[in-house]
Amino acid sequence: MKSYDLIVVGAGPGGSAAALTAAEAGLRTLLLERAESPGEKNASGFALSSKAWRDFPFIREMELPSMRWCRKCVAHFLSPPPEMEERFAVSSGPSRRMSYPEARDFFTVGMLRREFDPHLAGLAVGAGAELRTRSLVTGLVRESGRVVGVTVEGGEEFRAPVTIGADGVLSPVARLAGLREKWRPHEVTSVCIIDFKASREVMDDVIHDAGFQAYFGPGMGGNFLIAYTDGVHVGGPGVTNSLVSRVVRSRSKPARELLETVAAPPLQRLLRAIRAEPLEWQAHCLSWMDRMPENIHCGGLMLVGDAAGLPEPLYAEGVWQAMYSGRLAAEVAVEALEERDTSAAFLASYRERLQESPVGQEFVAGVQLRQLFELLGDPEACGELEEMAVDLAVHLLMSGQEPKAEAMARVFPILMENIPTVTTLARIYLPLLLQVGEEKLRFYSALARGLRRLLERFPWEL
Amino acid sequence: MEINRDQLVKVVPSPRDFIFLDRDACDGCGNCVVICPMDLWKIRKGQATLASKYRGSCLECGSCYLACDRGAIDFTYPPGGSGVTYERT
Repeated sequence: MKSYDLIVVGAGPGGSAAALTAAEAGLRTLLLERAESPGEKNASGFALSSKAWRDFPFIREMELPSMRWCRKCVAHFLSPPPEMEERFAVSSGPSRRMSYPEARDFFTVGMLRREFDPHLAGLAVGAGAELRTRSLVTGLVRESGRVVGVTVEGGEEFRAPVTIGADGVLSPVARLAGLREKWRPHEVTSVCIIDFKASREVMDDVIHDAGFQAYFGPGMGGNFLIAYTDGVHVGGPGVTNSLVSRVVRSRSKPARELLETVAAPPLQRLLRAIRAEPLEWQAHCLSWMDRMPENIHCGGLMLVGDAAGLPEPLYAEGVWQAMYSGRLAAEVAVEALEERDTSAAFLASYRERLQESPVGQEFVAGVQLRQLFELLGDPEACGELEEMAVDLAVHLLMSGQEPKAEAMARVFPILMENIPTVTTLARIYLPLLLQVGEEKLRFYSALARGLRRLLERFPWEL
Repeated sequence: MEINRDQLVKVVPSPRDFIFLDRDACDGCGNCVVICPMDLWKIRKGQATLASKYRGSCLECGSCYLACDRGAIDFTYPPGGSGVTYERT
């Protein structure tokens, strides 16, 4: 039996960020990974947000062959089957109003988990952590109600006063600790991904920096395309349609829904243009909560990342959350060891600090954010939204077919005709605004800035 | 474009079982059949049946375990070093 200061279960982004932080603080850290090497168990379809560049020095220094910088996001809205042709699209670069420089420069960087995870685990090892692969945790060691170690398959035992469970959405550690049996069907999604290889040169010409694209449509719910240096991942169905409770109710197979989206003419044209060849079929579940999860620690144990249910409530983005929570849990572990107190009461500060952190802030108005996405997954509501967007765009900007002023004058009647759709949106948006106001996010300062600009620019004398 | 799922996965077959069905608890609802991304579940005689080849083709997503509301499916992981590998090669 070997002893450490900290055991981290799972060498994904959350586990490696935890192990790196702990090892840098001088903790004797063991990082356990069930795969042959980190990253090979993880379906990719992965785009790391600019938040990671803001928060992690080691991300700012990172260079990986698969990295493609996304400075343009595209949302395609398709007509219902069988046509599935593009009816409307929104394409945008980053906004100059974002609160930190990286967010004003790019949205995300697409890269492969097969490169990213070993890179992070390598940093943890470089800082002094011990990585043991092919090690599946099958038991926890407890003393006086606290977790004081783990056993791996084969019976080998490792001891440490603190364990961090970074073992993903199914988290055997959470289950062994009695924190959770499994996520309930409305708390978890089941997503499929197809990995395509493509010519890098053609990708540079055709995709360029439009590295994140989403495909919506009546009943489709939001499939995604993420671009790498020399390939793309197409994943789906979108989070609402892949929610396990929705899948079992609708009896619609997630795998078939993704294959139908990939067969849609706009995607087929794009895949042909980049000379895409299918390489891999992947599947993965993601927890998808509308509020910050509760049971994420006990005596001697903290859960991070997907194991803690931290993917955010709109797109179920989770890698930045995993790294952020991993680092925070390691910081709390360092304090617990200094104070010689690994009780549940002491480790409760992990959840409290996480709730106050940007990760916790992602759950503000989580209920409304999920309603918004469910609206896009609803065949009727999404169809109405799509046609309203088409009508407004054509009459405002693209009305070459009729006298321009006459077309523009029709914008107001179009909005009036769509009062039910607008009201549905307002019913989600106004409570969201209220909750954001109550949480004192950046809303009020933006409002003040807008009013100030209005006062400066408007010709009030008229 | 043909997407042949079986040809697009690489799995080192697990030397032991890691998905377990409690036949007494299974009511044949078919949730596992609908959700499995590899179509490894079937309903036979009113009960779920897992394909015998699953140790060499399961993607370890755990969807069947999460979708089973009777608690009839238990999912663990294959032993370290075996199971699905995403290598993109």
